[in-house]
Amino acid sequence: MTNFMIETRNLTKKYKGTSAVNALNLSIPQGEIYGFLGPNGAGKTTTIRMLLGLIKPDSGLVRMFDQDLKKDRISILRRVGSLVEYPSYYGHLNAIENLETIRSILNVDKIRIDEVLHTVGLTKDAKRPVKGYSLGMKQRLGIASALLGSPELLILDEPTNGLDPSGILEIRELIKQMPKQQGITVLVSSHLLSEVEQMASSVGIINEGKMIFQDSMPNLQRQAGSEIHISLSQPEAAMIIAREQGCFPRLHQDQLIFKGIDNGQIARLVAALVDARHSIYRVEERRKSLEQLFMTMTANANSAERSIVEAPRGAGLRKEVAQ
Amino acid sequence: MKTWIAAIRSEKIKLRRSYVLGLAVIDPLLCVLIGLMSDLGTAPEAWNMLFTIMIALHALFFLPILTGIFAALVCRYEHAGGGWKQILSLPVTRNVLYTSKFVIVASLVALNQVLFFATVLGVGLIKGLDVSLIPWGDFGMKLLAGFVACLPLAALQLFVSAWWSSFAAPMVLNVIFTIPNMLVVNSEVFGPYYPWAQPMLVMMRAGGEYDFGAFGLPLETLLITIGGSSLVFILAGLTYFNRKAV
Ligand SMILES: Nc1ncnc2c1ncn2[C@@H]1O[C@H](COP(=O)(O)OP(=O)(O)O)[C@@H](O)[C@H]1O
Ligand SMILES: [Mg+2]
Repeated sequence: MTNFMIETRNLTKKYKGTSAVNALNLSIPQGEIYGFLGPNGAGKTTTIRMLLGLIKPDSGLVRMFDQDLKKDRISILRRVGSLVEYPSYYGHLNAIENLETIRSILNVDKIRIDEVLHTVGLTKDAKRPVKGYSLGMKQRLGIASALLGSPELLILDEPTNGLDPSGILEIRELIKQMPKQQGITVLVSSHLLSEVEQMASSVGIINEGKMIFQDSMPNLQRQAGSEIHISLSQPEAAMIIAREQGCFPRLHQDQLIFKGIDNGQIARLVAALVDARHSIYRVEERRKSLEQLFMTMTANANSAERSIVEAPRGAGLRKEVAQ
Repeated sequence: MKTWIAAIRSEKIKLRRSYVLGLAVIDPLLCVLIGLMSDLGTAPEAWNMLFTIMIALHALFFLPILTGIFAALVCRYEHAGGGWKQILSLPVTRNVLYTSKFVIVASLVALNQVLFFATVLGVGLIKGLDVSLIPWGDFGMKLLAGFVACLPLAALQLFVSAWWSSFAAPMVLNVIFTIPNMLVVNSEVFGPYYPWAQPMLVMMRAGGEYDFGAFGLPLETLLITIGGSSLVFILAGLTYFNRKAV
């Protein structure tokens, strides 16, 4: 149970009989930017609302900082900053007054207001009523509010939703510096894989309320990517040699295609093939895009659970995922 | 206790530049008109007469209506800007948040009573009434009792306003229930239990001799009803608020 900032066990929330979140096991290690990825309606916001105690789970456990959310909600929330779904603000107040409403409850030093406004780049507009802000500015004010209490954990629900590209870039850079500069652990949800790929160090993929993948970003990329394609003479014969080497390629358009083999294996295999007088034309690594993997994962998860294990393609994926 | 004061401070900040609060001025303004138009003479009773005349409009209509507006106001900015999810993610209990909103509503009602009192004094002075004859104790009692009588309504309206994510709806409802006040205060049966009529009943009754309809009931009976219903409405509101999904 140690070193996890957030850990959930079989977290479940049902709406009208269907599970918005279904037996979710989330583990978020300290110091990570955890990308919580899933298509719209997957259950990201519902999960986050349960983490903050805004709604009560039907069953399951939430532990944060090794404390039970049910028992120690207030002391947990003291260490968490959050932004759920869209930014909250009081339109008739300016940014400073907005932050002041939160500051008085958090009981932190007044200087924090200047600091967080500076962090999100709102110092110049701090005295304007927030109702005149653009969505991006409101979003930044939301992040400023979340940072006000110097949290150890930052929970951001689709913080770049609805922003223009430059706004997205700004927020992304802001999030990326959190663990480095302030040692903050970040949970950031998104329905965009590319976005998660660009900022997260670990990933959880949720679909229809279920966690279908949870691992580090490099592992996801590894699993998504790299098939080794070898084009060579007499591919059928080469298949046998590959098997003798303990590799099990598939044959496609006179190419041997290997999944998940490491450098050492490739080196030995190529040597063996050359020894056996095959002409090797080309050895190339082809990366399946994460996008494809994501699609396959969510599609597979959609078509009944069981079939994943049986379908050959899905089975391959599943095994990789399980590694 | 410290978090409670902090939460009340936070609520106070949210009221800044709330133009809705300007509505509260209509109450003393119209009461002033009524007061100025009245014929008081110079009897020692003139202050009491003036007070009673001005109370009629104030306690019968404005006090209950403004109480509803104040309650709607402290929920409005949470409904409008997604404030609920923000404040409920802060390290305070829902009980503290809810009761601090109640305190704000009650304070605004109290402020409104003070403002009303100031206008009574002002009108009296304009009318040339003798300052030395002002029955301070009597007025103080009535104002305080009127304030207390607003608390059940404040609690009820806060409950409705927190629950109903519309600003106008709870206020319209409140006005609809305020309109029959004129009839209800004359009913011995319903009057004392009708939260919208309680301010009028109590303000007329406290320290004075005014007894027809529900006005005839002893003040103690009224205050017990008021205290009891305040408690019930606050507890109901808290129960709801603690379960509120946001
Ligand atoms: N208050 C609610 N009442 C009924 N259904 C809800 C409610 N909140 C969420 N849902 C449903 O739960 C599912 C997950 O929603 P949500 O958590 O918002 O997804 P995401 O944030 O991943 O887009 C959706 O199917 C949504 O319709
Ligand atoms: Mg969402």
